[in-house]
Amino acid sequence: MSKIPPYLQPGDTIGIVCPAGYMPTEKAQTCINTLLLWGYKVKTGRTLGSNSQNYFSGTDEERLNDFQQMLDDNDIKAILCARGGYGITRIIDKINFKKFRKDPKWIIGFSDVTVLHSHIYSNYEIPTLHAPMAAAFNDGGAENEFVLSLKAVLQGKEIKYSCDGHEYNREGKAEGDLVGGNLALLAHLVGSDSDIKTKNRILFIEDVGEYLYNIDRMLCQLKRSGKLSKLAGLIVGGFTDNKDTERPFGQTAYEIIKEAVKEYDYPVCFGFPVSHEKENLALKVGVQYRLKVNRYEALLAE
Amino acid sequence: MDRKQFLSSALLSAVSIPAFAKQSNDVDEDGSILPLIPKYLKAGDTIGITAPAGYITPEEIQSAVMKMESWGYKIQVGDTIGKKDFTFGGTDDERRADFQHMLDDPKIKAIMCARGGYGVVRVIDKINWTKFKTKPKWIIGFSDVTVFHSHLNRNFGIASVHSKMCNSFPDDWSKAEPIQIETIESIQKVLSGEKMKYETIPNINNRNGTGEGALVGGNLKLIETMAGTSSDLKTQGKILFVEDTGEYMYSVDRMFWNLKRTGKLSGLKGLIVGGFKIKKDEDTEDFGKTLEEIVLEKVRGYSYPVCFDFPVGHQRNNFALKCGIKHRLNISNEGVILKEI
Repeated sequence: MSKIPPYLQPGDTIGIVCPAGYMPTEKAQTCINTLLLWGYKVKTGRTLGSNSQNYFSGTDEERLNDFQQMLDDNDIKAILCARGGYGITRIIDKINFKKFRKDPKWIIGFSDVTVLHSHIYSNYEIPTLHAPMAAAFNDGGAENEFVLSLKAVLQGKEIKYSCDGHEYNREGKAEGDLVGGNLALLAHLVGSDSDIKTKNRILFIEDVGEYLYNIDRMLCQLKRSGKLSKLAGLIVGGFTDNKDTERPFGQTAYEIIKEAVKEYDYPVCFGFPVSHEKENLALKVGVQYRLKVNRYEALLAE
Repeated sequence: MDRKQFLSSALLSAVSIPAFAKQSNDVDEDGSILPLIPKYLKAGDTIGITAPAGYITPEEIQSAVMKMESWGYKIQVGDTIGKKDFTFGGTDDERRADFQHMLDDPKIKAIMCARGGYGVVRVIDKINWTKFKTKPKWIIGFSDVTVFHSHLNRNFGIASVHSKMCNSFPDDWSKAEPIQIETIESIQKVLSGEKMKYETIPNINNRNGTGEGALVGGNLKLIETMAGTSSDLKTQGKILFVEDTGEYMYSVDRMFWNLKRTGKLSGLKGLIVGGFKIKKDEDTEDFGKTLEEIVLEKVRGYSYPVCFDFPVGHQRNNFALKCGIKHRLNISNEGVILKEI
């Protein structure tokens, strides 16, 4: 049974860090303002708007320390990763989860943050939150249903999502812990200490900017490592900005996924709003959900 | 391979096969598993050419056919040459069937993959290795063919050849650079059974030392994407070589983390870093680390030799390497020597 971190109360503090790529503070300003407006306090870590001159928001040590401090600080009730990019793999094995395991808090983000989701759930069965990050609040985003879904989850509201049907949907019902995230990272973690567990679980996947052949190869890896055969259900989010080779691959991302799971009989839903685009609902990784799929719609409820 | 596991599987196979067939790997005096080495080729032997991944036209393999015939071999061109299913050299079933046919045809002594691309992983689990295991033959290629190398090493301990493929044979030999000719001739040397020895110049970032072990490796991305599968490369006690092309620096870093985090770097006898063609990031953010720094930080806790710029990769200086066969790697200020022993 997983140990769900406490939901937030008005006045609780959310810490904001950049455990991977660099982000200037002004790009997180709307996010900060919005969190304040929602009634929370905000504490920004040193890795947000750091003086780093390269890709990362700081050296490995700086990123590790910032995250570790937030993890161990009793006053911080949730940690929002301001952006993804690349970098958590570099520090994951050095993070000390001892205190966090005793007093879990919500860790929020997606994309590169998939490493944290998978690592924490697989090792400690503590739920985390796959949800929009700071940039999603900009350009009016703070008002949209996807960013607001983060607010609702933090408040502890019961989650019930529905989305339009898709012609590739495979009908059925499923119950299980929700796991998943960015496909490239899930594949990258196979065989490591952060490897995702999928048996009897509902898996969700999304990705951005991948070559179609590489999407196929990653699905082959998940399949060959036994990650797709025993699912309770599969949720396919956005696969956006796909790239193709000079000689076309000949299948869309959704066709590739549909084919990869055709021999199994669990429900599969396509076009779920979890992605690198605006459509990105907050999902609790490691919490039990019920998935109901038919041709006309898909329902996901806690 | 786990010795205990090996012994039990050897015992099992001894029951099911005729006594004269040499099917299982021998164990040498220090208990390590000796590779199963396919028979080297002699004049008149047949090499099959097949396209298990990307598609290729008959014209594009012509130069390779003529060259290998000039080495005294016969060539059998598979059904997949000239076949096309989008990016693939035929449908999964066509590619599998062509490869299987060559694998089971006793006349064919070696199989050269015409080119890489993508596609071997889509068929690997449907290939029947039963006949091949009793009568191994050379499987030749690199890039996507890394899947075969890793699968054979992991599951059967059968040696294979990591080398250029048909699409790297120049159309006009009179215009070919000496390095192209030399690398292609290295394939012939390997196939004819010559003991291989390569020497290369020192790199300031090399870590000196000597190591002995079976040579394994190939394309880094493919090694990563086989993690957790039945083709997953085992590297314990071995010399690992890696190369890649067209990857962003962050991705190269992530892949080396994958090697480390899946336990592939801790028990090596040596690490050989071949060519890495890095893709430039569109948004010009500096990754802040060189390839050498990326590699060296991962192996800091270990003491085996490490060398850079070894002539293997998606490049002209891509020499033929015998995967699965014991080599000695010697790295010093004078240079790097990789020698079959």
